Amino acid sequence: MNPEVHMPGWEWYYVAMYFFIAGISAGAYFIGTLAELFGDDRHREISRTGFYIAFPLILLTPPLLIADLGRPERFWHLLFHAKSGIPYMNFQSPLSVGSWALLLFGTMAFLSFLDNLVSEGKLQSAPFAKAYSRIPRKWYAVVGSIAGFFVAGYTGVILNITARPFWAATNPLVGALFIASAASSGAAAIYLVMAWRKKLTDPGLPGFDLFDRLAKILELFLAVAMVVLAGKYAAPLMKGITAVMFWGGAVLLGIVLPLAAGWYATRTAGSPIPAERLATVLAVLVLVGSVLLRISMVHAGQVQ
Amino acid sequence: MGSNMAECHPVAFRWPLKAKTDHGAVLMHVDPRFTRTSALCDIHAPIRAGTDIVFLGAIINHVIHSDRWKTDPFFREYVVNYTNAGTLIAPDFKDTEDLDGLYSGLSPDGKAYSNATWAYQREKPPAPAAKEATNFTDLLLQKIPGRPKTDPTLRNPHTVFRILERHYSRYTPEAVERICGCPKEKFLKVAESLLNNSGSDRTSNITYAVGWTQHTVGVQIIRTAAVLQALLGNIGRPGGGVLALRGHATIQGSPDIATLYHSLPGYLNMPDARKAHESLKDFILTEAGPLSTSYWGNYPKFAVSYFKAQFGDAATRENDYGYDYHPKITGDHSHMPMFVDMTAGKIKGFLLMGQNPAVGGQNARFQRKALAKLDWMVVRDFFETETSAFWRNSPEIRSGELKTSEIKTEVFFLPAAVVAEMEGTFTNTQRLIQAHDKAVDPPDDARSDSWFSFLLGKRLKELYKDSTNDRDWAIRSLLWNYEPDAAEAAEWRIKDEPSAYKILKEINGYTWEDRKPLPSFANLKEDGSTACGAWIYTGVIPEEGKNRGKSRKGDDWISPNWGFAWPANRHIMYNRASADPSGKPWSEKKKLVYWDPAADSGTKDPAGKPVPGKWVAPSGEGIDFQPTKAPGFRGKDNGLGFDWLSGNDAFIMRSDGKAWLFAPAGLVDGPLPAHYEPYESPVKNLLYRQQSNPVAKVWKVEGNPYHKVADPAYPIVISTYRLTEHHLTGVMTRWLPWLAELMPELFCEISPELAAERKIGNGEYVTIRTARGEVEARALVTRRMRPFLIDGTTVHEIGLPWHWGWQGTAQGDVVNNLTPLVGDPNVSIHEGKVFTCDIRAGMKGGKG
Amino acid sequence: MAKGMFVDTSICTGCKACQVACKEWNALPHEPGHFRFDPVEKRPVAVNFTGDSYDNTGALGATDWRRVRFIEQFSEDRSRGRWLFSSDSCKHCNDAGCLNACPTGAIVRTGLGNVFIQQDVCIGCKYCIPSCPYGVISLSEATGTVHKCTLCNDRIHNGLGTACAKACPTGSISFGEVAELRKAADKRLAQLKSLGHAEANIYGYKEAGGLNVFYLFLDRPQVYGQTESVVVPQKRLPVSSAVAIAGALALGGAALVSFRERGSRETDEEVKK
Repeated sequence: MNPEVHMPGWEWYYVAMYFFIAGISAGAYFIGTLAELFGDDRHREISRTGFYIAFPLILLTPPLLIADLGRPERFWHLLFHAKSGIPYMNFQSPLSVGSWALLLFGTMAFLSFLDNLVSEGKLQSAPFAKAYSRIPRKWYAVVGSIAGFFVAGYTGVILNITARPFWAATNPLVGALFIASAASSGAAAIYLVMAWRKKLTDPGLPGFDLFDRLAKILELFLAVAMVVLAGKYAAPLMKGITAVMFWGGAVLLGIVLPLAAGWYATRTAGSPIPAERLATVLAVLVLVGSVLLRISMVHAGQVQ
Repeated sequence: MGSNMAECHPVAFRWPLKAKTDHGAVLMHVDPRFTRTSALCDIHAPIRAGTDIVFLGAIINHVIHSDRWKTDPFFREYVVNYTNAGTLIAPDFKDTEDLDGLYSGLSPDGKAYSNATWAYQREKPPAPAAKEATNFTDLLLQKIPGRPKTDPTLRNPHTVFRILERHYSRYTPEAVERICGCPKEKFLKVAESLLNNSGSDRTSNITYAVGWTQHTVGVQIIRTAAVLQALLGNIGRPGGGVLALRGHATIQGSPDIATLYHSLPGYLNMPDARKAHESLKDFILTEAGPLSTSYWGNYPKFAVSYFKAQFGDAATRENDYGYDYHPKITGDHSHMPMFVDMTAGKIKGFLLMGQNPAVGGQNARFQRKALAKLDWMVVRDFFETETSAFWRNSPEIRSGELKTSEIKTEVFFLPAAVVAEMEGTFTNTQRLIQAHDKAVDPPDDARSDSWFSFLLGKRLKELYKDSTNDRDWAIRSLLWNYEPDAAEAAEWRIKDEPSAYKILKEINGYTWEDRKPLPSFANLKEDGSTACGAWIYTGVIPEEGKNRGKSRKGDDWISPNWGFAWPANRHIMYNRASADPSGKPWSEKKKLVYWDPAADSGTKDPAGKPVPGKWVAPSGEGIDFQPTKAPGFRGKDNGLGFDWLSGNDAFIMRSDGKAWLFAPAGLVDGPLPAHYEPYESPVKNLLYRQQSNPVAKVWKVEGNPYHKVADPAYPIVISTYRLTEHHLTGVMTRWLPWLAELMPELFCEISPELAAERKIGNGEYVTIRTARGEVEARALVTRRMRPFLIDGTTVHEIGLPWHWGWQGTAQGDVVNNLTPLVGDPNVSIHEGKVFTCDIRAGMKGGKG
Repeated sequence: MAKGMFVDTSICTGCKACQVACKEWNALPHEPGHFRFDPVEKRPVAVNFTGDSYDNTGALGATDWRRVRFIEQFSEDRSRGRWLFSSDSCKHCNDAGCLNACPTGAIVRTGLGNVFIQQDVCIGCKYCIPSCPYGVISLSEATGTVHKCTLCNDRIHNGLGTACAKACPTGSISFGEVAELRKAADKRLAQLKSLGHAEANIYGYKEAGGLNVFYLFLDRPQVYGQTESVVVPQKRLPVSSAVAIAGALALGGAALVSFRERGSRETDEEVKK
């Protein structure tokens, strides 16, 4: 491990925020897809909410990515060769593959979004509806979800396959960690939107809640395993603001507290899901934890 | 030794390094600090600054008592035949061993030596020639001294060798450890290495630079090395010698063509009102008389040709070639006393070309304040140097000591061309003259120094052309024909640069009548028929249009067709000594110049038969000897120059043809080098009662206070030196961001031991103080600096590179604020390499 | 035929001519972070003294493509002492982390084997920067793109050698065909070993697929700041991807359990009823 490896200088308000928002978007989308694939009618609202959230959120991400570039006007070089215009992908670079995955995911998310509008009657135009209904919606949901999983996890792989000691030492877990976190924050976002739309008596919620808990447990396990695996190279996570963000924010507020509080609440109240007020607060904490996870992971690789 | 070659002569250093990697040469560095040079040497021997004579003297002592030196016949043969080891000295000579650090002949006021008791014992002078003297040469012939008396067995106690042996008897390895602070084993390793690598088939070289020259005993340090090398038989032989590393790419040309106040070009002496130099005849007799039995016996030819080159047609036999009108010096006009005079208001105007005394001058505050006493000052340089800015921005302006409104000095700043913008020649540290091509015109109004001097001269001549004043004769009659050459200027925007070729041709010399270049200084005449600016350069233009400085055919040894080495393309001086007294090479391996008895000498005997025998050098090396003088030739007792010198008098510039282990004349502070402590030292001289050089140049004037010996207020030894990244006062480097960022700030190298004592952390600010001033620097704490154990006491040494000034892109305090005005008595060079100081943590104002 | 450089640190004098020649040929500006601006005299003033021996450059950067390292090794009693120098730059790895990471194809390998950044293609995503295991490639704020040693790409494609090799006064840096340079390096290593330099070693025959700019060191590579057993970071891609995929599959399993579980429980209850 070479401490002289340079830091990329990725700004948290562009890059970490991109990781966060893309994570929610992808997480919400694949939860929606999984709910539809494995669940039944009870989970329709959850699915729909997931598909409503994904597209607007993912629209926010290209400006963030483009703004962080040294030459923003050249962003299209990520997809097309600068000199010849031919589509270009470098298989060894997750950043390159991820750009195409993001494009694919965004397109699928758009289609699912449109699908929501059509099925809720909000998009009336007849020729459009007819042509549209020809494509089996589960197909693009699945394709979109595979792309979604990629979008959620590749950002972690990007970090792991650099030579910065902290990022290299936390290999190979950060991709999986970000996927688990995406699931948890996607779930939190879905819950918050459902609460806002006053759909919280939805029968799909108990299963949804269980999935969310399982995702959090996976996330906690991966976070701890990552720190243990990195050994002495995890030092950036152990001091200063980075430690506060990671342990206090990502782990405590984002995973442990919601898990514990949620479990305790359902135990004492006897209901399969926590009460609305509490659950709303916990969902917000999950999102806070999720953004702090991304910020601390990006930051830990860029400290001396 | 006395040099940091890898850092200060990085390009030249490739050669010692190549000798090491390709030929197994052993490189040894003797220096107070471990520098980038030491890093590439096999041995680093640390010594306290200023104790070089102890170290070298101890090697001499070690060598002459060693079995190898005593039994290997080479050494005896070389020393007896080629040095003055066997010459007898006046019986009333008293050595430092007799007078506890002094020599006989010191004046009662202790200010100057008379060298009468240092003289050779001589035979009676030969009967003067019967004919009447018709020219200067004849005059010299009338004054030939008797041959020195010698004892080739070296047993007579008055021989140079016995004196030398006694003189260095207390210079032991133990003394080296006690006085230099160098471990005995290290010293012995160096001494043995030198000794074992000298002899008939091995030679060793000693290379030095300002680490030796910038001392009150500078000349004597170099002398010690010369004595040592002569004893080891290393002079005049390939791979041997004593090499002076000059400081700039072409500074060798500076003393050659006499920018020094006390000489004329070609190392003739400057006419001096204090000496018996009233007329040209007096001048020649005074200067050349003592030297007439060496090749300097041709002095009249060199001198007259010089005056002819100066005054051209106006120089005639009748007016002694203009000698009477030639300027004469009246004292020591070197840099330091000049500034003392400037401070006293005696100097009105000052022309500086590429000089920055506000930073580079000793006791820089003294010098900056002196500048305010001038009426006018002209500075030619590329950037606004500290000197040219002194009137508006300097430490003295900032402190209020000088006020801009009160400084009456009118400052003219003229932009100068840089190296790549000038045509001419460089003379490098090997005496090699190489043509330097102009690559591009200087921008805008920037011009070369030659352009400036040439046009200034033209305008002055114009001003004085109608003057009938006697004292204006010189400027009116000055031969100034360097008019631009259309072909030379063709490709350039600037058309009025003086012709570099014409300047070099005048230096080379030509016959006056037809202006044909002279191929050799042997063609010079004293009758005004030849003109020659600097006789040592004769041959660089052997015929019209041919500049040997331009030739670029190298080989892997002498490379005689690469440039032109003065004198006469001789790269190794005194190379007659590379053959034994009978003319045979000392060894096949070290063959350079030798006598070939069968070769056609080119002359014919009275019967018309070709005379065989001449000196040959298959490598193409110039032969530093009379080409046809047989090794066995016995010189004429009443002859001049070459006629007087015998076939084994290899050292043709010395009046006895021998290398001088003992210098009976020419030096003002002693015939043999003795260890004197630096003028400022924390320790007493452990060898003699005489502490420092008794005749060192000092200036006890206001503003130049000295520290007492072992002054407790200034217990630290300090040395100043240079870095690769910057050059001198930084005008050529500190304005360039690429170089500024390599070495941005002034720093002070300190040992961890001293840093711990004074609670100084690496990188923190420190303040260094002497009675002359204070500077602030960043501390670089490093084990490359070390404390010295001197006679049981720890003596700390620190060092600072002195490149910084307040202008430019790399800024820092002026280190020369710390140094005093003090110098070597022979050549007035300042003692910048060692003095004393104190150091404390923190910035000057007291802040951290 | 791959061209490269052999850096024989045993004859480096630490003069930094290589640093300056590089800047001169490539018209690189001074490193902005090393200067402050003096508004009165209207000029930049250098403030980058590091106290790290004679190295004030500190690291390779967008405008510092060469940097000489100074390593002092002295025992306290000074009986053993050594000052090592090494001129560091891009190693033009045969398996280059930066080239592997570049998502736009801006970083390419030319026919002479050197790794070259096309300044008109780079978008400044900065991913190559932490992907170089040697800390070479860096972003310039001024151009918004990354920069590093080009192996004097324009010179070497026109029959010349690199500027640093040309300026090096001792021949410590030599330019040529890598195969020929390796022979010279082996010879020099053998010579040094025979002179007693047991720790002398060549760095760059095996590292990162072979380095086209390789070194002769007198001590272990880590003394010179070079990673022993360097790993080109993209080697971790297969495992990293596999674990991420496993994570996704785990979540799929969780979803399976969660979104079906309620259904089966209801059936149980129905049965119970």
